[in-house]
Amino acid sequence: MTDQNDNNPSFVLRAVKDVAFEDRPVPALRDGHDVRVHVAQTGICGSDVSSKAPSMKCTLDKTELAQVHYWQKGRIGDFILNSPIVLGHESSGTVVEIGDAVRNVKVGDRVAIEPGVPCRRCNHCREGAYNLCPDTIFAATPPWDGTLSKYYVVASDYTYPIAEHMTMEEGALVEPVAVAVQITKVADLRANLTVVVFGCGPIGVLCQAVAKAYGAAKVIGIDVVQSRLDFAKSFAADGVFMAPKPKPGVDPVEHSEKVAALIKKEFNLGEGPDVVLECTGAEACIQAGVFVAKKGGTYVQAGMGKENVVFPITTACIRALHIKGSIRYTTGCYPAAVDLVASGKIDVKRLITNRFKFEQAEEAFELVKASRPDVLKVIIEGAV
Amino acid sequence: MSKILATGARAALSGARSNASITKAARPVMVAATKTTNQKRNHSACCGPNLRSYATVSDANSAQQQNLSFVLEKQGKVKFEDRPIPKLTSPYDVLVNVRWTGICGSDVHYWQHGAIGDFVVRAPMVLGHESSGTVTEVGDKVTSVKVGDRVAMEPGIPCRRCPRCKEGMYNLCVDMRFAATPPIDGTLAKYYVLPEDFAYKLPENMSFEEGALMEPLSVGVHINKQAGTKNGSTVVIFGAGPVDINQERLDFAKKYAATHTIVSKKQSAAETAAQIIKECEIVEGADIVMDATGAEPCIQAGIHVLRAGGTYVQGGMGKPDIMFPIGAAGAKELNIKGSFRYNAHDYETAIGLVTSGRVNVKELVSKKVKFTDAEEAFEDVAASRGIKILIEGVPDQRASASA
Repeated sequence: MTDQNDNNPSFVLRAVKDVAFEDRPVPALRDGHDVRVHVAQTGICGSDVSSKAPSMKCTLDKTELAQVHYWQKGRIGDFILNSPIVLGHESSGTVVEIGDAVRNVKVGDRVAIEPGVPCRRCNHCREGAYNLCPDTIFAATPPWDGTLSKYYVVASDYTYPIAEHMTMEEGALVEPVAVAVQITKVADLRANLTVVVFGCGPIGVLCQAVAKAYGAAKVIGIDVVQSRLDFAKSFAADGVFMAPKPKPGVDPVEHSEKVAALIKKEFNLGEGPDVVLECTGAEACIQAGVFVAKKGGTYVQAGMGKENVVFPITTACIRALHIKGSIRYTTGCYPAAVDLVASGKIDVKRLITNRFKFEQAEEAFELVKASRPDVLKVIIEGAV
Repeated sequence: MSKILATGARAALSGARSNASITKAARPVMVAATKTTNQKRNHSACCGPNLRSYATVSDANSAQQQNLSFVLEKQGKVKFEDRPIPKLTSPYDVLVNVRWTGICGSDVHYWQHGAIGDFVVRAPMVLGHESSGTVTEVGDKVTSVKVGDRVAMEPGIPCRRCPRCKEGMYNLCVDMRFAATPPIDGTLAKYYVLPEDFAYKLPENMSFEEGALMEPLSVGVHINKQAGTKNGSTVVIFGAGPVDINQERLDFAKKYAATHTIVSKKQSAAETAAQIIKECEIVEGADIVMDATGAEPCIQAGIHVLRAGGTYVQGGMGKPDIMFPIGAAGAKELNIKGSFRYNAHDYETAIGLVTSGRVNVKELVSKKVKFTDAEEAFEDVAASRGIKILIEGVPDQRASASA
């Protein structure tokens, strides 16, 4: 039970560009299925968020984008920040309290937290697509508080014990791995397929790693930043490719088509890869992705950039591509992600480039905003 | 031209569902298995008529009771009992005054044998699970129905938290609470509580009786979903009824949804399959077989009547272990699946099929009895008289009287 003298320091976004530490009440369990976690580590994405970046961007989870956007602009589209929220959603921690109906974890267990709990009653939930539930309680998406507090309360079936030999930092990285697992699930990735991944930020390289772990024959990573490509090559990709910039006056779509041809040639992809995972959201990548896929191939849109882009629709049609979107995660993604880390198949520690103490959270967000190419994954320690 | 072969109530509904999904005129073919030396009579000797007096309660008495219920006290003994009106368990619950309830073989089985597999009747339990009714009370957070709405009731409430639930297979939930599967009380009571997402509003042109038929129709929908029935499919459905050939059921099937009905002879399963293929002019073998009997000879014939690459769905329940043509299954690369109850969208699909007129369930109702005559109705079902018998509910004077 809670100690009445216990505090709950929290990193709060109060208004546009106004963050502060607040001592919030220690959250109480809402029902017998809840658990309270003492948060140990929280990751935030160190990717470019500004709109003045060149065409190829690293992917950014919508919630991170949201958080940085809320911080800087106070809104993302329809979601307007009306009241202060605690930030953060990629966390690990220790269970300190459990409800009387909880069976899957006990006090003292170290867990990875899945930050979006759906309603469990709507048609999406009932048919197994809970990532589409419109009434999901998602950490750090207004009006729901995030995990950058000392304590976080969540339904127990959204916490997953991590292996004894896993660190809390690795536990916090389970979330982006779960995103990558969902992307490959949507792609129906199987053994011996060829895969091209646009983007070598955290999600891009994790997609490359999951694809290799699942037996892909060849995985190629695409980016415009050399250091990112170097990392991707050392991490999981079989090959990496620096996408050339278009010459002045060249039609951008024609250029994308040329880039696609170059990729196929350089990596002996024949008619094209079986699967394309688009993890940047950049218009040029989306176009190149459609052009590079083989006939009958699968293209998955995971990255988020401009909401509307020029899209090679006729190519998509006549090549009978399977084009799908991927968002968040579904049943089985978190357990698979924990296993990929615990078994050593994916060394997520290598993604962490910057570490901060809880009190330095604002500095961490400033680093995210600065979008330096040498910054991959930023991690914030929990409050003690 | 597609063909569907089927017999029996559940089989008929599976057939009707298959038929309804095919736009070109396509009619099913019915198959009834003959009695063979392997088949045993499923029903105990106690179910002969006129050997007992039925549990009952007078009309005057029943009107005074707050929640009159039809209870299985223990194996072989039913009674009427007044129970407290159930309370809503969450703000998402609704209270329904049950208006019509169909009887299923499983209800009869618990009555006669006190158990199905590991589910054992250890304490008195209300029977029934195929119901419709009127909403009389709603929880604070209910938005999809209101008091007075007429609903079909889906009787199995999953936990919503286990991996099966979260991947959309809630019919396989480890903690499923299913009406009239021990120890969970069923729907043969004046009132029943369920969550709003398991209560489906009936369109204006559907009666309460049709609403009660949505449960077995949803089973048929689900079997078709498992089978992947589509336009142009050739479907053979096995439904056998009792030991002796039930000509009444075959005649019904022929008028209802089947293209052909077949009475097989005492012969090997392979010969039965050959007979079906010949008499129904199926060239290579059926695309799909659904078994709604659980009977060993039907299952065997079903495997043999499929073409290579075909799909077999086991819906019926009989002997838990049988002699199975595994060699044919492997060499023909068959897809073999089980089908159990129903899950997301099945009830909505069933309602859509009936409200649009593509499936007619009224024809399946062979008899309707008053609530206080429930035991007699159970006897009829046990003796395989008729196809579907409905038991009227105990009306709530406050509820809407429209039927």
